[in-house]
Amino acid sequence: MKTKQTIFMLCLLGAAFSAGAFDFGKVDWKKAAETVKKVQKANAEVNEPQEITLGEGIASNLLGAAPLLDNPEVQMYVNRIGRWLAMQTERPDLPWQFGVLDDSDVNAFAAPGGYVFITKGLLAQMNSEAELAGVLAHEISHVLRKHHLQALKKGAQTELLSDLANDAIRNKGGDPRLTKLVSAGTEVYARGLDKNDEFEADRMGVVIAARAGYDPYGLPAVLQTLQAIKPGDSSFALMFKTHPALADRLSLLEQKMSGPFAGLENQPDLAPRFLQALGAAK
Amino acid sequence: MKKLLLLCALLGFVPAVWAGGYANTLRTTELKAKPYTDSQTLATLPQRTRVEVLARKSGWTQVKTATASGWVKMLSLKLETGAQAKRGDNGLGTLFNVASTGRSGSTVTTGVRGLSEEQLTNAKPDPQALQDAKRYVVSREEAQRYAAEGKLNAQSVGYLNGGQ
Repeated sequence: MKTKQTIFMLCLLGAAFSAGAFDFGKVDWKKAAETVKKVQKANAEVNEPQEITLGEGIASNLLGAAPLLDNPEVQMYVNRIGRWLAMQTERPDLPWQFGVLDDSDVNAFAAPGGYVFITKGLLAQMNSEAELAGVLAHEISHVLRKHHLQALKKGAQTELLSDLANDAIRNKGGDPRLTKLVSAGTEVYARGLDKNDEFEADRMGVVIAARAGYDPYGLPAVLQTLQAIKPGDSSFALMFKTHPALADRLSLLEQKMSGPFAGLENQPDLAPRFLQALGAAK
Repeated sequence: MKKLLLLCALLGFVPAVWAGGYANTLRTTELKAKPYTDSQTLATLPQRTRVEVLARKSGWTQVKTATASGWVKMLSLKLETGAQAKRGDNGLGTLFNVASTGRSGSTVTTGVRGLSEEQLTNAKPDPQALQDAKRYVVSREEAQRYAAEGKLNAQSVGYLNGGQ
């Protein structure tokens, strides 16, 4: 990787030379140095605090679109499960925050830095804590692998992202460039993540749920339930549009899960606790 | 089990596991006496066998055919459209006032708030709501305590690799 970058830099240096390229007397060293600096900046990665700042903005937008369900017991319950799952991952110390949105649409969202939201519409499709854990673990995986940032890069937001990485964006006081990046980040929900990132989040999600001690088949069970929904039901429209076909997701999970999870099939699904916790919503 | 039944009766739930619904086998599938791979095979169901769904246990679904009942691999089934209305009816839909079809309340584009494509694209930030939501965040200790209460034991499981 380092070698590649060096070669790339040398090429750029070459490009910075004036017409008489190999006449070293005429090299515009100042211009060359500027070019190198620019490239270094463009390649800078968004660090964790910057990732959290961006995610905070996106999460704030999401709550502007749909309010939080006014039910402290359910919110606490989802946070307990989510935090326990996140503790089984390679990024246990992010400021993980989970929430249930008061919206009948069936969907779930992850924002950079550790924000995870599911709609009450999706919650109402579930039958056990293991199913909830599977869905939360899928969203947690998007955060772990920074899929959202990848989508922003692909969505031609590279320049704004490198501004963020180079501390050229103020994270307070409404810097218009941060607002723009946050808007683009929110739009990713309307466009969807990369298909392979969804498959990866499925593969990781079942593992994280299993690590947390749950029946690993919670996520596929939810996907199977959703598969039986009438096509054209408007509350599923965006989730279906922004995710790969359920049949493909289930068939990939089936191939991957058959061996490794054989010994974990007796892990609890905690269906009674799930129903009890959500019963508090009454 | 009795406890669960009582709880459900108390809360007015119709547990999904006892609800009906039909599914079809995606491929030739073994019908097992118990939800284990090494359990006795009762029958071999051809592809596209229609079965009644009775319950799920981990990766297995309990089903009833015209002549027998037993367990098949969950992912060898595809639920029939609409089966979800029964299987997925955990009673929470009514509880949360989620309309069974479509959105409850306002339609897609008339409301300012909502999670449609257009509404997400035009979302305005609500930093106060995000701040309010922080009060539900739990500590590692609390998460651990709650996991222990549910008898959840952390396991060491490696990630599955990608590809086909």
